[in-house]
Amino acid sequence: MKNVLVYVQHKNGQTPKVTFEMATQARKLADALGGKAHALVVGPGSSQLAETLKTYPLDAIHVNDDGDVDKYLLDPTIDYLDAAAKAIGPSLVLVANTLTGKDVAGRLVARLHAGICADAVDFKLDGGKVVAVMPKLGGAAITDCELLAGDYGVVTIRPNAFAAQAGGAGAGVQAIEKPAGMSYTVVVEKDVEESSGELALEEAPVVVAGGRGLGGPEPFDTLLKPLAAALGGAVGASRAAADAGWVPYNLQIGQTGKTVSPPLYIAVGISGAIQHKVGMRSSGTIVAINKDGQSPIAEFSDLLVVGDAFAIVPELTKLVQAAKS
Amino acid sequence: MKIVVTVKLVPDPNAEKRIDNGTKRLVRTGVETVLNPYDEYALEAALQIKEKAGGDTTVTVFSMAPESLKETLRKALAMGADDAVLLSDAGLEGSDVWASSYAISHALKKIGFDLLIVGGLSDDGSTGATPGALAEYLQTPLITNARKAEIADGKLKIERETDTGYQDVIAPLPCVLTTALTFGEPRYASLKGIMGAKKKTIAPMSVADLGLDHAVGQSGSKTQLLSFAPPPVRGKGQVIEAADGAAGAKAIFDFLKERKLV
Ligand SMILES: Cc1cc2nc3c(=O)[nH]c(=O)nc-3n(C[C@H](O)[C@H](O)[C@H](O)COP(=O)(O)OP(=O)(O)OC[C@H]3O[C@@H](n4cnc5c(N)ncnc54)[C@H](O)[C@@H]3O)c2cc1C
Ligand SMILES: Nc1ncnc2c1ncn2[C@@H]1O[C@H](COP(=O)(O)O)[C@@H](O)[C@H]1O
Repeated sequence: MKNVLVYVQHKNGQTPKVTFEMATQARKLADALGGKAHALVVGPGSSQLAETLKTYPLDAIHVNDDGDVDKYLLDPTIDYLDAAAKAIGPSLVLVANTLTGKDVAGRLVARLHAGICADAVDFKLDGGKVVAVMPKLGGAAITDCELLAGDYGVVTIRPNAFAAQAGGAGAGVQAIEKPAGMSYTVVVEKDVEESSGELALEEAPVVVAGGRGLGGPEPFDTLLKPLAAALGGAVGASRAAADAGWVPYNLQIGQTGKTVSPPLYIAVGISGAIQHKVGMRSSGTIVAINKDGQSPIAEFSDLLVVGDAFAIVPELTKLVQAAKS
Repeated sequence: MKIVVTVKLVPDPNAEKRIDNGTKRLVRTGVETVLNPYDEYALEAALQIKEKAGGDTTVTVFSMAPESLKETLRKALAMGADDAVLLSDAGLEGSDVWASSYAISHALKKIGFDLLIVGGLSDDGSTGATPGALAEYLQTPLITNARKAEIADGKLKIERETDTGYQDVIAPLPCVLTTALTFGEPRYASLKGIMGAKKKTIAPMSVADLGLDHAVGQSGSKTQLLSFAPPPVRGKGQVIEAADGAAGAKAIFDFLKERKLV
């Protein structure tokens, strides 16, 4: 394992921030292994995205604007990745730990007969060894896992865990040829984007999350959104709130929702059930607002203010807004 | 139609877990082994598809787990699966994701299926990589995160969740599917189901049945677990009773300012 290959997930050239976190980390890994940092970006909008990627410290960016990538579900993407990985030899493939990233990683495990470390938040490198650090069992354990040096390795990367830092050599952008002789069977008939241009939950530096204590959908708009906006963050929710239909499921945080680790997490009217906790407990600072001083969230928040969310949140929003202006 | 559902047996996700500092292992006392929650959703999807399809559609559950957990698997039969296959072998111990997927795919090839439904994520492994690896080894199309499924003319029509919205996709059978939690809440086992499950078969399978070309278990794995430790403790923080909204807000604001978060 010498070279590093970053899979760039995107839609029409729009990519999550974790791509740049991976590009930055790829440089460090490649330097430690004595190899090169590559990236693969395929599908409509790739050439345009490659221009942005060029400002990150990569050595080579392999590009193809192939329309089949969006027409068929993932199969063409995997063939490109397989070809790119085999062209550069036993390497470390970095993939974002997203829904799509999990699928890509799993398929590469079989294609490349590769080991996998999932949801890495750090690397330890010593003497050509690659060791990924990952929280497991919902954060109850931290594991160090080594990838065998002679084989391919795949690592999925938790968003927000690594820094993104532009700069560096200015990679060469090169066309990658479409793998020949492949036929694809899973056809995408309709593709709907629902995220309304708001900051993605996993990438937000501040998450303001609401739970059953908010009592309905309105307070998410009238209480939480203004506070999140003032702090430059995004709104999230507990499963109770998502199940009640107050917010869409893509805002749900926890075991069966998203895992977030922002520098600041504010839980409003959330009790702190274990299934919620595992999705946010690695946040930098955790602040809770809850009527009940005995709720489980008291056990893992840095500050719990016992009181009524409806009284506290608007006042807090005002203070934050005032401090900004 | 033959539907197969993979079910992993995992330490109860609802239990508060603790790593023993000395042994570096999960403290198992007081932690029950249960069906992986995502796999209960996968099984629910299979049962719904079976009910809709009718005829001679069957649902088989498959698990790779120690023989001693056989009775835990019976819950899947009580929920409504027709039969089960349990792959157990000392030689599988310590298998990583690559080795398990490799072994499981060979078992599934032997069992055969028109539709294979895999859970999206295991609670203890949490890689989410198994479905993709299985689909590749089985050389079968893969559709993940399905929230609605329809089968017509031997084709599978799926509505699936994506990172940014949803998609409608179509694939031929046989196919590998994973389900999103929005597919439907898993049903409870009825008393009749529980009684009936006692008579259903759990067929044993071992590594010798699989005809593998590569070693599995710890020695065949491509990753090595170097350490497994409790995370740095996050001490219980401050608790402040707010006299009113303004006081509560000020307490938070001051705290955030002190930590340079505003
Ligand atoms: C398999 C499985 C998976 C699950 N996955 C998830 C998951 O991914 N994410 C998740 O969040 N949950 C998940 N759950 C559900 C979880 O167990 C809890 O039921 C859920 O997190 C509770 O949500 P809550 O904290 O919003 O509601 P509650 O537990 O009802 O808490 C509401 C809180 O609001 C407080 N409150 C009420 N009024 C006010 C007020 N005016 N001001 C301030 N505070 C107030 C109350 O004191 C209480 O603490 C899962 C459960 C299972 C079984
Ligand atoms: N030992 C196993 N036995 C049966 N199914 C498994 C096993 N390991 C993983 N799976 C399936 O693969 C899914 C994803 O697991 P993972 O890749 O570990 O997150 C699970 O939800 C199961 O359906």
